[in-house]
Amino acid sequence: MTASDPMTTPSTPPVPSTPPVPESAPSPPALSCRGLSKRYGDVHAVRDVGFDIAPGEAYGLLGPNGAGKTTTISMLVGLIRPGGGHVRVCGVDLAADPMRAKARIGYVPQEIALYPELTGRENLRFFGRLFGLPRRALAGRIDEVLDLVGLTGRADSRLKTYSGGMKRRINIGTALLHRPDVLILDEPTVGVDPQSRKAILDGVERLVGEGMSLLYTSHYMEEVERVCDRVAIIDHGRIIAEGTRRELIALVGGADKVELSLDGDLETALAKLRAVEGVIEAAMTGAASIRLLTEGGRYLLPALITAVDGCAAVTATQVIEPDLEATFLHLTGSTLRD
Amino acid sequence: MWRALAAVGALELRTRLRDGTALVIALIVPVTLATLFSVALGGDDPPLRATVGFVDLDRGEFPASVRREVAGSEELKGSVTLRDLPGREEARRALDDGGIGAAIVFPAGFSRSVGEGRGGDVAVLTSPESPLAGVVARAVVDRISALVDARTLAVRAVLKAGVPGDEVKELVERNGAAGPVPALEDDPLSGGKVDLSVHYGSGMAALFAFFVAGASFRGLLTERKLGTLDRMRAGPLAAWVPFAGKAAVGFALALVSVCVTWAASVLVSGATWGDPPAVFAVLLAHVLAAAAITMLVTSRVRTDAQADGVIMVVSFVMAFLGGSLVPMHSLPGVLQAAALLTPNGWTSTALTGLAGSGAGPAGSVGAVAGPVAVLGAIALVAGGLAVLGMKKGTLL
Ligand SMILES: Nc1ncnc2c1ncn2[C@@H]1O[C@H](COP(=O)(O)OP(=O)(O)OP(=O)(O)O)[C@@H](O)[C@H]1O
Ligand SMILES: [Mg+2]
Repeated sequence: MTASDPMTTPSTPPVPSTPPVPESAPSPPALSCRGLSKRYGDVHAVRDVGFDIAPGEAYGLLGPNGAGKTTTISMLVGLIRPGGGHVRVCGVDLAADPMRAKARIGYVPQEIALYPELTGRENLRFFGRLFGLPRRALAGRIDEVLDLVGLTGRADSRLKTYSGGMKRRINIGTALLHRPDVLILDEPTVGVDPQSRKAILDGVERLVGEGMSLLYTSHYMEEVERVCDRVAIIDHGRIIAEGTRRELIALVGGADKVELSLDGDLETALAKLRAVEGVIEAAMTGAASIRLLTEGGRYLLPALITAVDGCAAVTATQVIEPDLEATFLHLTGSTLRD
Repeated sequence: MWRALAAVGALELRTRLRDGTALVIALIVPVTLATLFSVALGGDDPPLRATVGFVDLDRGEFPASVRREVAGSEELKGSVTLRDLPGREEARRALDDGGIGAAIVFPAGFSRSVGEGRGGDVAVLTSPESPLAGVVARAVVDRISALVDARTLAVRAVLKAGVPGDEVKELVERNGAAGPVPALEDDPLSGGKVDLSVHYGSGMAALFAFFVAGASFRGLLTERKLGTLDRMRAGPLAAWVPFAGKAAVGFALALVSVCVTWAASVLVSGATWGDPPAVFAVLLAHVLAAAAITMLVTSRVRTDAQADGVIMVVSFVMAFLGGSLVPMHSLPGVLQAAALLTPNGWTSTALTGLAGSGAGPAGSVGAVAGPVAVLGAIALVAGGLAVLGMKKGTLL
């Protein structure tokens, strides 16, 4: 120990009892969770999940089917009681004051959770009243939301006559009625055509641009890359990596992604490719395609083609610079869509 | 919170009213069935015969005049037969093997005892297998009792006035206290008709209360499947709101259903179910119990389709055991004991009792207090278990 050690130097000014707080205290995270866990029998659906989403930040939760995304969200919105851990919404503890915490969340379930027999407007009116919007303000707010999701023209048709994309949009709109601070979207683009998907993503980006915080889960890499500032990769209930897109890609180092289209015995080809010097990971991505993570992909191509010679013929190749998906492959050893 | 509750209730009500089958089940079917049953089986002209055992241990003027009266009555001709039996034991045996439907027993010395102002009791033996004969026998005895009371009073008054004992009888009869002739009511069988129409009316009301209340709890399962329940639960409202909103509507609709069946039964058959507040108390308690039981079913099944099936089975089993479909006394003894486990059994007993007793407000509320308490207890137990199950199944 030296004389300059603050703990032993009597001349050190007294430590203030509370940490110094600047006049304009930084607002608490819009959504914060720590140590969330949930077990179903032997299945650890979620283990020790924690993250913070700053106000106005778009945060992505990326993981394959069954990774634990929906289970995590269910705990965040108070639908299931966590086996462990806690949740804060804008500084309000969800377990201690659920009503106040939930009032700040807009939750969009993975499935269309609306009444097919009611019209779009009636659905909105019901949930608006349920969420405590005053009757007088409600009609105006419904029109705003309908406009926001581009359904003004179909507002008075029954929901069961909507297309898949329209249903997805009103599913999101319903969560916006009470002007939440945090929007939680659980795979909002499942089963919609590219056009509707673009409309949804544009809308979400606009909301974030206007200052809303976002938790976006998906197993579509492109969506998360496009919408989110920060991403957590979740697999088998655990967050295995977290950071900005750049940070995550850096985890992979200089690895490249190589797509091979092949004819022939893919199983054997896969085994042979794995053995090639410079190949980090290999996975089958279809009946006739294999994806590789390599060092110096471009220079490796001749070696790869030679390796499968005899069991399969390479019909096309593509070398891709590292991206989130490469990171995912690198971290989990499996592809997102299997 | 109230706004959220009202929103859930309004949506549930609207859904139920929009759904045509719901109205049919709540109103049209029970009313129609109750009417059909009571017209077909309990109609204007009951094709029923009653043999009433007659045990005369008195050999005096009272039994003789009753015998005359019954034989001479136009209304009873062809439908009521008196059969003389030597004693109470024989009457009991004849009752058990179905030879007679009821018996009237005049104890030895009855006429003399009444003549001396000491009153007297006529016994009625009845069997649950032939309620109609019981009604007739009781109607006869009620008349006798009234006569006996009047006679006893008169004799006592005369004795008090100092008339010697051996002149009393003659004096009383000479001065207008009618002789021992029990004039029968116009139609003692009308009591039997009331029984049947109340039986079928209350049976249908009791059965359909299950379906009507159950539909709302089933709706909770539909909403869970639809995802709307989770959407509500994720919103800023108390966890019990979706449940309470739907339950309140289901309960109210079931109450409307039983009351409409009641009103229709009264209008169609002209039968009264008894003192209205007491009838209402029984119906209310029954709907509570039926709601709690269907809620318990809902809390133990996974899907709304399963709930439909199980509620159907449970409702019919309860209705069958509880005498809502066939009169309880036509079931074997073991099953009759099981009636005590069903709300239908208690409701049926309370309502037929009320209709038969013709008691005034004070008496009838007391008469149904027991069954109503049991129904309340059934509702509490089933409801408590249901709440536990619903919490586990995230319905509540
Ligand atoms: N109610 C439940 N009972 C039992 N196991 C469950 C339950 N809910 C989820 N699980 C299991 O927990 C794990 C995580 O499921 P979860 O739905 O959270 O995944 P997900 O990431 O949302 O998947 P997807 O992309 O398919 O929606 C899975 O293994 C799933 O089988
Ligand atoms: Mg999911």
